[in-house]
Amino acid sequence: MVTESDTASIEVEIVPNRFLMPATAQKLLNAIYENGGIIRIMIQGPNLPRNVPYGPGRGTPIEENRDLLIEVGGQAFELCVKVGRVRLELESEKYFDGLKAACERALPFSVHIKRGKFFHTRSTITDYAKFGKVEDTRVLGLIDPKAKKDRLAVLSEERVTIDDEER
Amino acid sequence: MAYTPQYYPGSTTVGINRRKHMSGNLEKLRDIPEADVVAIMGHRAPGADYSSTHPPLKEMGEPDCPIRQIVTPTAGAAAGDRVRYSQWTDSMYFAPSIPYWRSYWGAINCKGCDPGTLSGRQIIEARERDIEAYTKKQYDSEMTDVALCSMRGCTVHGHSLRLEENGMQFDMLSRTEMGKDGNVYATKDQVGIPLDRKINLGKPMTEAEAKKRTTIFRVDGVPMCGKVGARKYDEAVDALHHMWELRSKWGYRPE
Repeated sequence: MVTESDTASIEVEIVPNRFLMPATAQKLLNAIYENGGIIRIMIQGPNLPRNVPYGPGRGTPIEENRDLLIEVGGQAFELCVKVGRVRLELESEKYFDGLKAACERALPFSVHIKRGKFFHTRSTITDYAKFGKVEDTRVLGLIDPKAKKDRLAVLSEERVTIDDEER
Repeated sequence: MAYTPQYYPGSTTVGINRRKHMSGNLEKLRDIPEADVVAIMGHRAPGADYSSTHPPLKEMGEPDCPIRQIVTPTAGAAAGDRVRYSQWTDSMYFAPSIPYWRSYWGAINCKGCDPGTLSGRQIIEARERDIEAYTKKQYDSEMTDVALCSMRGCTVHGHSLRLEENGMQFDMLSRTEMGKDGNVYATKDQVGIPLDRKINLGKPMTEAEAKKRTTIFRVDGVPMCGKVGARKYDEAVDALHHMWELRSKWGYRPE
């Protein structure tokens, strides 16, 4: 029998039962951040376009989806999606219980927390087409393969970078 | 004895609600002014003239046709209105109506309409003044819960997505919003163009009420087979099996 190492990194997926409003998303992300041990984190959910994308109202601004600023760990960034899922990699098993407690503390409704393998480890053709040779493999799996290259947000320990041009 | 159509089998609450929807014998829950319904549909400004596609039938001099003599035209057809649409998205989280039942309701109860059923949305097309009346009926009746159902001409997804924190169906274009007073307001028309004022659609149903009025069979609500563990399946499943059997045999053995 192989005993799992308790020092290896683990991947976790957090799926709340409801889509999160920006204030709740901020609360949840800060609770996760304060728990510590994050190697990388990704938030996912349906797109919130700045303008009506098609139909007779195409191009009409959607004011509700603009300036959805949230602050995580002292860094502000703009939400482009309705937060419905958070995937993250933790340094080790010891942060997992704290993470579960943080989610339950931050969310007023139930949440599914799963452990598994959620980020791919080898560069795909899409990754190659977007970035060429990937030097920092932590970026793999953080990006929606269908997203445009100019819509990437990477949250790191040092800084938050976001490059999101209006479409 | 007068014949009463038997629309849908089963004794579950969902079966009963499905029969109600198909028969058109629906409870009226709210009264949204006609001008507001017209504004949300977005095809014409409230009070504006109807655009027409042909002159009124009386002026056209129709050919001598027995069918035309039997069938009375709808108000919209008689006036020569353009064909317009209204399209609904109903959440799978116990919305009162679902695409097929909106279509059954339209096909059985609405004269001169063309219902179209898709997986997560439902569209009805008809002459403009007819579709306005049909849409108002849908808005006012128990077919619609203002939080779980909304009119969406484009960017329709929301049916199979999780609800928002406040219990509203997710809408990428934010066409409706939950007010601080607990009422739902329409702020945009069905294609996402902002309205000049917010339209109060009233209070949403509670979760218990939505479950009571839903036409969706769900394993965490009312399952299609009826009571779990019962000796006999609900009649809805028996009837479905019967139809499946006949269709299969008819399909395989046409004699």
